Amino acid sequence: MRGLSLVAIGALAGFGLAAAVTHFAYGANLAGLRTENELARFGLAFERVRDNYLSQPEDRRLVESAINGMLTNLDAHSSYFDPDAFAAMQTKAAGAYGGIGVVISERDGAAKVVSVVDSMPASKAGIMPGDELVAIDGIPMQGHSLDDVSARMRGTVGTAVKVTVARAAIKPFELELTRDAIEVERLTYRREGDVGYIKIVAFSDRTEPDLRAAVSALRRQIGPSLKGYVVDLRNNGGGVLQASIDVCDDFLDSGEIVSVRGRSAQDVERYDAHPGDITGGKPLVVLINGGTASASEIVAGALQDHHRATILGSLSFGKGSVQTVMPLDNGAGGALHMTTARYYTPSGRSIQVTGIIPDILVSGGPGAPEYEREVELPHHLEAEGPPAKAMGMPIVPAAGHSYLDFQLSMALEFLHKTLAVGGTAPKHA
Amino acid sequence: MKRFAFIGLGMVVGFIAALGVLPAAHGANDMGAYRQLDLFSDAFERVRANYVRPVDDSELINAAIEGMVSSLDPHSSYMDAKAFADMQIQTKGSFGGIGIEVTMENGLVKVISPIDDTPAAKAGLKAGDYIAAINGVAVQGLDLNAAIDKMRGPEGSKITLTILRTTDKALAKKPFDVTLTRAVVAVDQVRWHREGDVGYIRMPGFNETTASGLESAVRELKRQIGPGIKGYVLDLRNNPGGLLDQAVQVSSDFLTAGEVVSTRGRHAEDTQRYDAHGGDITGGKPVVVLVNGGTASASEIVAGALQDHRRATILGMTSFGKGSVQTIIPLGEGGGALRLTTARYYTPSGHSIQAQGIVPDIAVAEGDEEDIPRIARPSEADLPGHLANGDAATHHPSAPIIRPPSSGAKPADFQLSYALDLLHGKIAGYPVKSAQAN
Repeated sequence: MRGLSLVAIGALAGFGLAAAVTHFAYGANLAGLRTENELARFGLAFERVRDNYLSQPEDRRLVESAINGMLTNLDAHSSYFDPDAFAAMQTKAAGAYGGIGVVISERDGAAKVVSVVDSMPASKAGIMPGDELVAIDGIPMQGHSLDDVSARMRGTVGTAVKVTVARAAIKPFELELTRDAIEVERLTYRREGDVGYIKIVAFSDRTEPDLRAAVSALRRQIGPSLKGYVVDLRNNGGGVLQASIDVCDDFLDSGEIVSVRGRSAQDVERYDAHPGDITGGKPLVVLINGGTASASEIVAGALQDHHRATILGSLSFGKGSVQTVMPLDNGAGGALHMTTARYYTPSGRSIQVTGIIPDILVSGGPGAPEYEREVELPHHLEAEGPPAKAMGMPIVPAAGHSYLDFQLSMALEFLHKTLAVGGTAPKHA
Repeated sequence: MKRFAFIGLGMVVGFIAALGVLPAAHGANDMGAYRQLDLFSDAFERVRANYVRPVDDSELINAAIEGMVSSLDPHSSYMDAKAFADMQIQTKGSFGGIGIEVTMENGLVKVISPIDDTPAAKAGLKAGDYIAAINGVAVQGLDLNAAIDKMRGPEGSKITLTILRTTDKALAKKPFDVTLTRAVVAVDQVRWHREGDVGYIRMPGFNETTASGLESAVRELKRQIGPGIKGYVLDLRNNPGGLLDQAVQVSSDFLTAGEVVSTRGRHAEDTQRYDAHGGDITGGKPVVVLVNGGTASASEIVAGALQDHRRATILGMTSFGKGSVQTIIPLGEGGGALRLTTARYYTPSGHSIQAQGIVPDIAVAEGDEEDIPRIARPSEADLPGHLANGDAATHHPSAPIIRPPSSGAKPADFQLSYALDLLHGKIAGYPVKSAQAN
């Protein structure tokens, strides 16, 4: 068969090319040789695709797809930012960034719109929940991570982004949108009678100063009759690790908040609380649900382990891993966004997959969404430690009663000691 | 057989197609390629050193190759060593085994059906039997693929299965052992039977046995029906494709001369033309080809060739529309293989069926299904870049779709019964295509 000759030629070229870039990296040990062979196998595949694919592929695209494939196969939170996405991410970190105002989730490797933000470019252009984002700026998004898709939609306010949208049964269409400023959602608070209600939507550098301001404002408004606080972490998907540590510190006097452990045993970082509780030790209820993830679970876990707060609501998401961003070629080659560590609550438990089990289980009430949890994500990191204890039955609204926010209502009843459950009494320092 | 469905929808395999696509881009471009590979090995090193747990090198490289290849189009992919071996069985059309279609249920392997004339059928295995142990080792805890691997083996070797037959009350709680001798089991064989004076031939796929299967089917049908044979129905419904050379041979078996298909790769010199040869084995009898939305790839080559030559009447629903050719490129011993899109194919009249599909001469539905507009299928209509259909010409069925009667008795297979009526001249306005009519 004539095809065989190609195989031979390609093989030589492939090995040559791959060996040239890898030989410097390894000694003559056996493991190194295996690694080198594996890299050579990649070089061979790269060569074959370059030379034989139906149309001339871009080398750059091939390698970016390969790195992305390697990362996304590791676990559900590892991904690759190509140079554009990485640049956009840095812009975001620098504060001035814009977007189109969509919330997305992943379905079968595709990015689907979950909701659109009112009066943002996406909703003005008619993008609807259920739409699939097929391509951004002409680049197909199939198989790209959600982080990557979001990063590509973001950019400087006023710049244009082209989004190709697929909607059931009609031909995919392209829209050109102008990015608008995204409000970084800040902490909000209000008085609920004699209880202070504080909602943290995400953890950013502004969260802890905002929390201090909220607590002192609520103290002033409610006065000495203040019964306690409800900290609402529902649907808070996380954010900056340090911000969650600072928030815990505000409620704790001492002890460990969280420890982060990398691959090797000596790679452990422990974060401790410093004296001072900004609430003066008032009772605390933390609300969680299936959308409470990551940095939020660090807060709920620390306050639960220290018996500083009563955790109320439904089972949290279960993301117990920490990702690090590692630029390649000083950022010119994009960056790896990779899981490098797990975190552990003060009692030493990992909440990976198991999530935070509330002290008082209260259902979200009728119409509460079903949350996709860590355990359902493809390639999720496995759980550690003993399996979670079985959860009891949640408190549900009594027939004929309707609540605007059932979990919050139960939290308030709990703080007023009118909630009839066999659960624990309020614990506070 | 469903358990071999890993091949996915419509693959035209051909080692031949790789030919001529010689490395052309060496030289100036290579410095860029080195830099890219450098970037890759940097990323690989970082992952090896820093990921939260140690990861196997080959697992990382497999994922990288898969990521690279599958980003190209929906039909390009990477097969690891295991998937590659399975594909070779599929392509060969046979394997050493016992001949059962199986699924997993309650942690046990459940027999969906034994295949006729195989060791399993001869030993009396029945649909619904559970396999509790293989050679005395419990199945519980194995996944389906691992269990299948244990049941396969060289022809002539022995295997003992522990069977739980819950369908039989007397045996429901008493597992019993059956010892079988493995034999060659055929996959996706051509099946045929006589429908009165018409020969019916069903092709479930295109593997190495397909053209010879067709040839013996025609021979047998001619012998059974005799000179009064009215024609043939070639059933390609839900046939996802397979080997390109088999599709060429099958088309050629119905044609006396002319082009069957041409494939065009990246460069002009990659064009390959395949011609009919060896004569029409049916002696020019009328042929009706049945197609539907599951008819893809190699099947569409056959339907397209016979339609363009006006050799057959194409009946059914618009086919899938996969007009690309994948080549299997092995990556060395144990390294798996790439399944890479290397060419498009064109019917004799020069049309690409990419995203358009083969539009039947007579549109006949099996029920109330709609002809899905291909363009609404992102997987085919929106292949990246160059895989968009280059043809300006679009085919649109002009006649309304014929559907089974909504009341009264509906034939078990409406499309087939319509095809038989057509061959019997019961359908007004449609002269049947036969070689003599041209």
